[in-house]
Amino acid sequence: MATLVKQLKRTSPVLLYAAYLLLALTLLGIGLSIYRLVVGLGPTTNMNDYYPWGIWISIDLFLIPVAGAAFTISLISYFFGRERYHDVIRPAVLAGVIGYGVVGILLFLDIGRWFQFYNIFNPRYINLHSFLEEISLCVTLYTGILILEILPVLLERWNIQTPTRWINRGIYIIAGAGIVLSALHQSSLGSLFLLMPYKLHPLWWTPALPVLFFFQATYTGLSMTAIAVTLIWRARGIPLDRELFRRIGQAMALNLLLYLAIKAGDWMGAGEVPLLLKPDAYGLLAWFELIIGVFVPMAILFSKLIRHSAAPFWAGVFALIGTFINRLVISWIGLAEPSPVVYTPHWIEIAITLGIMSGGVLLYALIAYYFRLLPERHASPTT
Amino acid sequence: MSTISRKDFLKILGLAAGSAFLPTVRAQAAIGEADDHVAMLYDSTLCVGCNACTNACRQWNHTTPEPDAEGLHDAPQALSADTWTLIQLYKEGDEYAFVKRQCMHCVHPACVSGCPVQALQKTPQGPVTYDPSRCIGCRYCMYTCPFHVPRFEWDEVIPKIAKCTFCYDRILDGKGPACAERCPTGALIWGRRADLLAEAEKRLAEHPDRYVNHIYGKDDAGGTSVLYLSAVPFEKLGLEDLGTEPIPQLSEDTARVVLPGIIIGGPLALVAIHWISKKGAWEETWPL
Repeated sequence: MATLVKQLKRTSPVLLYAAYLLLALTLLGIGLSIYRLVVGLGPTTNMNDYYPWGIWISIDLFLIPVAGAAFTISLISYFFGRERYHDVIRPAVLAGVIGYGVVGILLFLDIGRWFQFYNIFNPRYINLHSFLEEISLCVTLYTGILILEILPVLLERWNIQTPTRWINRGIYIIAGAGIVLSALHQSSLGSLFLLMPYKLHPLWWTPALPVLFFFQATYTGLSMTAIAVTLIWRARGIPLDRELFRRIGQAMALNLLLYLAIKAGDWMGAGEVPLLLKPDAYGLLAWFELIIGVFVPMAILFSKLIRHSAAPFWAGVFALIGTFINRLVISWIGLAEPSPVVYTPHWIEIAITLGIMSGGVLLYALIAYYFRLLPERHASPTT
Repeated sequence: MSTISRKDFLKILGLAAGSAFLPTVRAQAAIGEADDHVAMLYDSTLCVGCNACTNACRQWNHTTPEPDAEGLHDAPQALSADTWTLIQLYKEGDEYAFVKRQCMHCVHPACVSGCPVQALQKTPQGPVTYDPSRCIGCRYCMYTCPFHVPRFEWDEVIPKIAKCTFCYDRILDGKGPACAERCPTGALIWGRRADLLAEAEKRLAEHPDRYVNHIYGKDDAGGTSVLYLSAVPFEKLGLEDLGTEPIPQLSEDTARVVLPGIIIGGPLALVAIHWISKKGAWEETWPL
């Protein structure tokens, strides 16, 4: 660590200060998390009977498709047989492990009776009708699978090979199970809202929610991969693989197009187009979300002007913002209740969210530095 | 050996096909049972807004009064962790009416369908009960309930969900819910759901001029165990039009199709994709 600090001080002091800031935020977040567990949700959050879910749930709903990077890349590289994508499996899987870790921690802090969270694994209690139960089980199992997938990266540093051999032998089973579990919980996240036909705004509520959430997860996961890979490659000063990036861009465009087609078809089929044209907050929000999250990324990917290796990065940034707005509306703004109070997050809720996420980013950066996330031919001495 | 596995396979296929018809069968069966559930009938035209029900509820369930600004009266404004039932006033010009709020004890409760750990349960007698020893405090029930009923003890370090239980402990003792037994005007009565529906039909037939011609809760949201009669349109009392389909229907139907679909179809699709891509058939055409 000391060498890293010394090296950063010399080469890029800005990055060092950023790391210190992330560390400070993480420590504050951990402290406040403990405080929240000790004193309860009342003094530390602004959630109330009319807005029982706050920003933690919104962030979780956003981070799960972002962490879906691992799911999309595994599918393409292992099953569509695209060798080139093997280069980005490790960064994507690591994003998955850390993303789901952050989600798990925020969920644990969010549930009121956290001291008996293990009831979701109790076979005598679990409710198989409940999508929330199904998501809990799938996410837990999937996190286990992601850890198996990332284990070889950690172990090879100490030259431990036996577990890696076993994992590699079963990689198609492991990756396949991960893909099935991802397809289940990414779509089920949308199914959660099927029980709220009279609560969620009609522009967002549709029986097609599971399908929409699924395709949103695939393009959001690809976006996250494009962003992470661009950043890591740039940080290492390695030229981007243009052919690979062209293909990631095409995959993103394909999934964005599918998402848009289903969404537009659903609006037209349900006769909700007039709601889109109504100049109220919800109509505007729907357009805003669609333009930022779907139209702008597609324009970047399709237009000849920006079709170079930076296009997936910028398209990804906008797609991610769009997904964030979408999940924020579905879990908060669009869940209208006849309410005498309005929810805005308490500063402790925000500080905890930033803190846990900073911890995730810091951990990702450290692992990216100390372990070999890049393929052999790009490997450079790190320590 | 192979015949057995083929038979099993066919059985699974049959189950998958048959499951498409299951929802209708299940819904009908449950509505049949609902006749014998305990229920309440609240006749808004007979209610004088005396709040005896609220008070009886407090005494039996040991909830804390929520006084007004002067501290003179127990004046809860809405359902809360401390107020499991209350009387609200609707007033428009000279017209006014009271409405009682509490858990509706749906025939097909969305909260029970969504609860991951079965902390909320539909009891065989009809009441929807809550078991804190199972609850993880996820608050999904608060969002799934179309009547905005479940509340949360936000200020407790070890919080619980709070809502009317139909005084399930009293029901097990052969007694009625505390609120209905206390009501001095007969605006709130309790009994077998089918009997109360018959009583409500009778009142509607005898005094068509007095009532809106609808028993709210008979079929609304798939049926509830708290039934309402009113002289003013139900929306004005905050009882919205929720259709007649049980709220959990779509979610449970989706689960029945999508979950086995992905669990069985997912691996098959992966094998197929892998096989095709191994043959290199779409190397050039497929855009990825």
